[in-house]
Amino acid sequence: MSDRKARLTITVDPRLSAYAEQLVAEGRASSVSAVFNDALSEKARRDRRALDRLREIAAQADPATVSRMMAHIDAQAAALPQR
Amino acid sequence: MSEDAGAVPAPYVLDVSVLTAVARADAGVTSLILDLDARGQPLVLPALAMVAASLDARSEDADDALRGLEQLGSAEVAPLRDADQAARLAAVIARTGLDPWDAHVAAVADAAICPILTLAAAKWREHSADLDEPLHVIEIADPGEAPGDSGSEPDR
Repeated sequence: MSDRKARLTITVDPRLSAYAEQLVAEGRASSVSAVFNDALSEKARRDRRALDRLREIAAQADPATVSRMMAHIDAQAAALPQR
Repeated sequence: MSEDAGAVPAPYVLDVSVLTAVARADAGVTSLILDLDARGQPLVLPALAMVAASLDARSEDADDALRGLEQLGSAEVAPLRDADQAARLAAVIARTGLDPWDAHVAAVADAAICPILTLAAAKWREHSADLDEPLHVIEIADPGEAPGDSGSEPDR
Protein backbone atom coordinates (compact mmCIF):
# COMPACT_ATOMS: atom_id res chain seq x y z
CA MET A 1 0.00 0.00 0.00
CA SER A 2 1.28 3.49 -0.86
CA ASP A 3 2.19 5.81 2.01
CA ARG A 4 0.79 8.70 0.05
CA LYS A 5 -2.21 10.11 1.88
CA ALA A 6 -5.62 9.60 0.31
CA ARG A 7 -7.95 12.54 -0.23
CA LEU A 8 -11.39 11.88 1.26
CA THR A 9 -14.57 13.90 1.46
CA ILE A 10 -16.26 13.28 4.80
CA THR A 11 -19.21 14.74 6.68
CA VAL A 12 -18.82 15.33 10.42
CA ASP A 13 -20.89 16.76 13.23
CA PRO A 14 -20.57 20.55 13.52
CA ARG A 15 -19.30 20.33 17.10
CA LEU A 16 -16.52 17.94 16.05
CA SER A 17 -15.57 20.13 13.13
CA ALA A 18 -15.46 23.13 15.48
CA TYR A 19 -13.31 21.18 17.94
CA ALA A 20 -10.87 20.20 15.20
CA GLU A 21 -10.62 23.85 14.12
CA GLN A 22 -10.06 24.85 17.75
CA LEU A 23 -7.19 22.36 18.13
CA VAL A 24 -5.52 23.81 15.05
CA ALA A 25 -6.09 27.41 16.21
CA GLU A 26 -4.53 26.58 19.59
CA GLY A 27 -1.53 24.98 17.93
CA ARG A 28 -2.37 21.53 19.31
CA ALA A 29 -2.71 20.04 15.84
CA SER A 30 -1.08 20.89 12.56
CA SER A 31 -4.27 20.69 10.52
CA VAL A 32 -7.88 19.55 10.61
CA SER A 33 -6.83 16.59 8.49
CA ALA A 34 -4.24 15.65 11.11
CA VAL A 35 -6.90 15.74 13.83
CA PHE A 36 -9.11 13.27 11.98
CA ASN A 37 -6.12 11.15 10.96
CA ASP A 38 -5.03 10.89 14.60
CA ALA A 39 -8.57 10.08 15.75
CA LEU A 40 -8.91 7.26 13.25
CA SER A 41 -5.47 5.94 14.14
CA GLU A 42 -6.57 5.79 17.77
CA LYS A 43 -9.74 3.89 16.86
CA ALA A 44 -7.69 1.41 14.80
CA ARG A 45 -5.35 0.93 17.77
CA ARG A 46 -8.25 0.31 20.15
CA ASP A 47 -9.85 -2.16 17.75
CA ARG A 48 -6.58 -4.08 17.38
CA ARG A 49 -6.11 -4.12 21.15
CA ALA A 50 -9.64 -5.50 21.57
CA LEU A 51 -9.01 -8.33 19.13
CA ASP A 52 -5.63 -9.05 20.73
CA ARG A 53 -7.38 -9.27 24.09
CA LEU A 54 -9.74 -11.96 22.75
CA ARG A 55 -6.85 -13.93 21.28
CA GLU A 56 -4.91 -13.77 24.56
CA ILE A 57 -7.90 -15.17 26.44
CA ALA A 58 -8.51 -17.90 23.88
CA ALA A 59 -4.87 -19.00 23.94
CA GLN A 60 -5.36 -20.21 27.51
CA ALA A 61 -8.09 -22.68 26.54
CA ASP A 62 -7.67 -26.44 26.55
CA PRO A 63 -7.90 -27.42 22.84
CA ALA A 64 -9.40 -30.82 23.62
CA THR A 65 -12.22 -29.26 25.62
CA VAL A 66 -12.92 -26.71 22.90
CA SER A 67 -12.94 -29.45 20.30
CA ARG A 68 -15.51 -31.44 22.26
CA MET A 69 -17.68 -28.36 22.75
CA MET A 70 -17.51 -27.61 19.02
CA ALA A 71 -18.54 -31.16 18.15
CA HIS A 72 -21.46 -30.84 20.58
CA ILE A 73 -22.55 -27.60 18.90
CA ASP A 74 -22.30 -29.15 15.44
CA ALA A 75 -24.41 -32.11 16.50
CA GLN A 76 -27.13 -29.80 17.84
CA ALA A 77 -27.00 -27.60 14.73
CA ALA A 78 -27.36 -30.63 12.46
CA ALA A 79 -30.52 -31.63 14.33
CA LEU A 80 -32.21 -28.24 13.85
CA PRO A 81 -34.94 -27.87 11.23
CA GLN A 82 -33.68 -26.28 8.01
CA ARG A 83 -34.58 -22.61 7.62
CA MET B 1 -31.73 -22.68 3.28
CA SER B 2 -29.99 -23.79 0.13
CA GLU B 3 -28.11 -27.04 0.22
CA ASP B 4 -25.34 -25.66 -1.95
CA ALA B 5 -21.91 -26.55 -0.63
CA GLY B 6 -21.04 -22.87 -0.30
CA ALA B 7 -24.26 -21.86 1.44
CA VAL B 8 -23.86 -19.54 4.41
CA PRO B 9 -25.05 -21.25 7.59
CA ALA B 10 -27.79 -19.74 9.73
CA PRO B 11 -26.30 -17.16 12.09
CA TYR B 12 -25.98 -17.99 15.76
CA VAL B 13 -27.38 -15.34 18.11
CA LEU B 14 -25.10 -15.06 21.14
CA ASP B 15 -27.03 -14.63 24.37
CA VAL B 16 -26.10 -12.86 27.60
CA SER B 17 -24.57 -15.98 29.14
CA VAL B 18 -22.10 -16.36 26.26
CA LEU B 19 -21.26 -12.67 26.05
CA THR B 20 -20.80 -12.54 29.82
CA ALA B 21 -18.45 -15.54 29.66
CA VAL B 22 -16.34 -13.74 27.05
CA ALA B 23 -16.37 -10.54 29.12
CA ARG B 24 -15.23 -12.58 32.13
CA ALA B 25 -12.33 -13.97 30.07
CA ASP B 26 -13.60 -17.54 29.95
CA ALA B 27 -10.90 -19.13 27.80
CA GLY B 28 -12.93 -22.08 26.56
CA VAL B 29 -15.94 -20.08 25.44
CA THR B 30 -13.78 -17.35 23.90
CA SER B 31 -11.71 -19.90 21.99
CA LEU B 32 -14.89 -21.57 20.77
CA ILE B 33 -16.27 -18.27 19.47
CA LEU B 34 -13.00 -17.50 17.67
CA ASP B 35 -13.06 -20.97 16.10
CA LEU B 36 -16.65 -20.46 14.92
CA ASP B 37 -15.65 -17.14 13.40
CA ALA B 38 -12.60 -18.67 11.72
CA ARG B 39 -14.74 -21.19 9.90
CA GLY B 40 -17.13 -18.49 8.69
CA GLN B 41 -20.05 -19.13 11.03
CA PRO B 42 -22.08 -15.89 11.14
CA LEU B 43 -22.49 -14.62 14.70
CA VAL B 44 -25.03 -12.03 15.85
CA LEU B 45 -24.38 -9.88 18.92
CA PRO B 46 -27.61 -8.29 20.19
CA ALA B 47 -26.72 -4.83 21.45
CA LEU B 48 -28.74 -5.07 24.65
CA ALA B 49 -27.12 -8.43 25.48
CA MET B 50 -23.76 -6.69 25.16
CA VAL B 51 -25.03 -4.08 27.61
CA ALA B 52 -25.81 -6.82 30.12
CA ALA B 53 -22.39 -8.43 29.70
CA SER B 54 -20.65 -5.09 30.14
CA LEU B 55 -22.76 -4.29 33.20
CA ASP B 56 -21.86 -7.64 34.73
CA ALA B 57 -18.12 -7.17 34.36
CA ARG B 58 -17.62 -3.40 34.64
CA SER B 59 -13.97 -3.41 33.60
CA GLU B 60 -11.95 -2.06 30.71
CA ASP B 61 -10.65 -5.55 29.91
CA ALA B 62 -14.19 -6.86 29.68
CA ASP B 63 -15.26 -4.04 27.39
CA ASP B 64 -12.17 -4.69 25.26
CA ALA B 65 -13.16 -8.33 24.95
CA LEU B 66 -16.70 -7.36 23.91
CA ARG B 67 -15.32 -4.81 21.46
CA GLY B 68 -13.06 -7.55 20.13
CA LEU B 69 -16.08 -9.68 19.32
CA GLU B 70 -17.38 -6.90 17.14
CA GLN B 71 -14.12 -6.96 15.15
CA LEU B 72 -14.53 -10.60 14.16
CA GLY B 73 -15.10 -11.04 10.44
CA SER B 74 -18.22 -13.15 10.86
CA ALA B 75 -19.77 -11.16 13.72
CA GLU B 76 -22.34 -8.41 13.46
CA VAL B 77 -23.98 -6.31 16.16
CA ALA B 78 -27.78 -6.29 16.04
CA PRO B 79 -28.84 -2.82 17.19
CA LEU B 80 -32.21 -1.64 18.37
CA ARG B 81 -32.77 0.36 15.24
CA ASP B 82 -36.16 1.99 15.09
CA ALA B 83 -39.66 2.31 16.51
CA ASP B 84 -40.82 -0.95 14.92
CA GLN B 85 -38.01 -2.89 16.56
CA ALA B 86 -38.64 -1.11 19.86
CA ALA B 87 -42.31 -2.10 19.72
CA ARG B 88 -41.40 -5.67 18.81
CA LEU B 89 -38.99 -5.86 21.74
CA ALA B 90 -41.65 -4.49 24.09
CA ALA B 91 -44.05 -7.17 22.86
CA VAL B 92 -41.52 -9.93 23.55
CA ILE B 93 -40.89 -8.55 27.05
CA ALA B 94 -44.62 -8.41 27.75
CA ARG B 95 -45.23 -11.96 26.54
CA THR B 96 -42.23 -13.65 28.14
CA GLY B 97 -41.38 -11.60 31.22
CA LEU B 98 -37.75 -11.71 30.15
CA ASP B 99 -35.28 -8.94 31.01
CA PRO B 100 -34.87 -6.46 28.14
CA TRP B 101 -31.45 -7.91 27.21
CA ASP B 102 -32.70 -11.47 27.09
CA ALA B 103 -35.80 -10.31 25.26
CA HIS B 104 -33.62 -8.59 22.67
CA VAL B 105 -31.84 -11.91 22.07
CA ALA B 106 -35.22 -13.63 21.69
CA ALA B 107 -36.55 -10.91 19.40
CA VAL B 108 -33.50 -11.08 17.13
CA ALA B 109 -33.57 -14.88 17.02
CA ASP B 110 -37.31 -14.94 16.43
CA ALA B 111 -37.24 -12.34 13.65
CA ALA B 112 -34.32 -13.91 11.80
CA ILE B 113 -35.22 -17.55 12.60
CA CYS B 114 -31.74 -18.16 13.96
CA PRO B 115 -30.65 -20.43 16.80
CA ILE B 116 -29.56 -18.93 20.10
CA LEU B 117 -26.08 -19.94 21.25
CA THR B 118 -26.14 -20.18 25.02
CA LEU B 119 -24.67 -21.65 28.19
CA ALA B 120 -28.13 -21.80 29.73
CA ALA B 121 -30.45 -23.71 27.41
CA ALA B 122 -33.00 -24.50 30.11
CA LYS B 123 -33.94 -20.84 30.45
CA TRP B 124 -34.68 -20.54 26.73
CA ARG B 125 -36.71 -23.74 26.61
CA GLU B 126 -38.83 -22.35 29.43
CA HIS B 127 -39.67 -19.21 27.46
CA SER B 128 -39.80 -20.67 23.97
CA ALA B 129 -43.49 -21.55 24.23
CA ASP B 130 -44.37 -17.91 24.94
CA LEU B 131 -43.56 -16.89 21.38
CA ASP B 132 -45.40 -17.59 18.12
CA GLU B 133 -42.56 -19.72 16.78
CA PRO B 134 -40.39 -21.95 18.97
CA LEU B 135 -36.90 -20.68 19.66
CA HIS B 136 -34.09 -22.92 18.52
CA VAL B 137 -31.30 -23.26 21.04
CA ILE B 138 -27.74 -24.56 20.79
CA GLU B 139 -26.08 -25.10 24.13
CA ILE B 140 -22.37 -24.71 24.73
CA ALA B 141 -21.36 -27.61 26.92
CA ASP B 142 -18.56 -30.08 27.23
CA PRO B 143 -20.14 -33.51 26.96
CA GLY B 144 -16.99 -34.96 28.48
CA GLU B 145 -17.46 -32.96 31.65
CA ALA B 146 -19.23 -34.39 34.70
CA PRO B 147 -22.71 -32.89 35.31
CA GLY B 148 -22.57 -29.89 37.62
CA ASP B 149 -18.85 -29.52 37.05
CA SER B 150 -19.07 -26.68 34.55
CA GLY B 151 -16.61 -23.90 35.12
CA SER B 152 -17.91 -21.94 32.15
CA GLU B 153 -21.44 -20.99 32.97
CA PRO B 154 -21.87 -17.50 34.41
CA ASP B 155 -24.61 -16.64 36.87
CA ARG B 156 -26.99 -15.27 34.23
